Amino acid sequence: MMTEKLARSAIQPKNPLLNVSRSANLPHVPGIRVGDYLFLSGMGPIDPRTGGRNHGPIAEQIRTTLNNIKHLLESAGSSLERIVRVHVVLADISHVEEMDRVYREFFPVDPPARTAWSMPLRFGNGCEIECVALVD
Amino acid sequence: MSLQRQVMASPLPGLDARRGFGGQMSMVVRGGEFLFVGGLTAVDPDSGERIRGTTMSETRRILANIKLLLEAAGSSLNRVVKVNVLLQNMLEAPEMNEAFAGFFPEPPPARTVCGACLPHGARVMIECTALA
Repeated sequence: MMTEKLARSAIQPKNPLLNVSRSANLPHVPGIRVGDYLFLSGMGPIDPRTGGRNHGPIAEQIRTTLNNIKHLLESAGSSLERIVRVHVVLADISHVEEMDRVYREFFPVDPPARTAWSMPLRFGNGCEIECVALVD
Repeated sequence: MSLQRQVMASPLPGLDARRGFGGQMSMVVRGGEFLFVGGLTAVDPDSGERIRGTTMSETRRILANIKLLLEAAGSSLNRVVKVNVLLQNMLEAPEMNEAFAGFFPEPPPARTVCGACLPHGARVMIECTALA
């Protein structure tokens, strides 16, 4: 029986331009580590070179967002291979096939459990993705 | 020692996400002490064929499939801690509730319900987190 309290701490991307919660002064952090679990905030298509939003074609937005998640996970001692659950939110449900096409490149074997749906997103983002991962 | 991550085998071919659901997701992934079940829409568990019906019938089908998945992974509906339900039409939430109530013990799990646009004409999508 586990009785000791799990440690809780905030995680940060090594690239500060991807720390949107800090740069936009939002009341959340990029992610929280609890024990050996990582809970990430929703990530959008932020250009890692400028910190600005990349609102190109949906395939590009998905690729940028997943690369940002990869960076954040690797900054916190995890990786895409250690993700257990993903939420993919699209602004437009008709983009689901295009999203799948790009998504598959990032998870070629033993992909995580996933839920994908569509609802209105802020800032004109075409997608927002969040996940739960395990530390290595 | 790092936490175990394991993709759980599907009990029936229709619930094998490598065949149905487009192949880019796993249905059930174990992470440490938890099982993460991906968002399911209504499918025939033997053939994987999409079943489109009412909010009530799709809810029943999905929860029956989640039950099969959890039991194959050594868990059960009694071990579910959190459920997220996405509905194409929020006005049909009462029907979803009616179907939902029969599946869980007292007390039932924590749950969030929200309206969403769902892929492939589904009326209901359900995901959950359970104890392994």
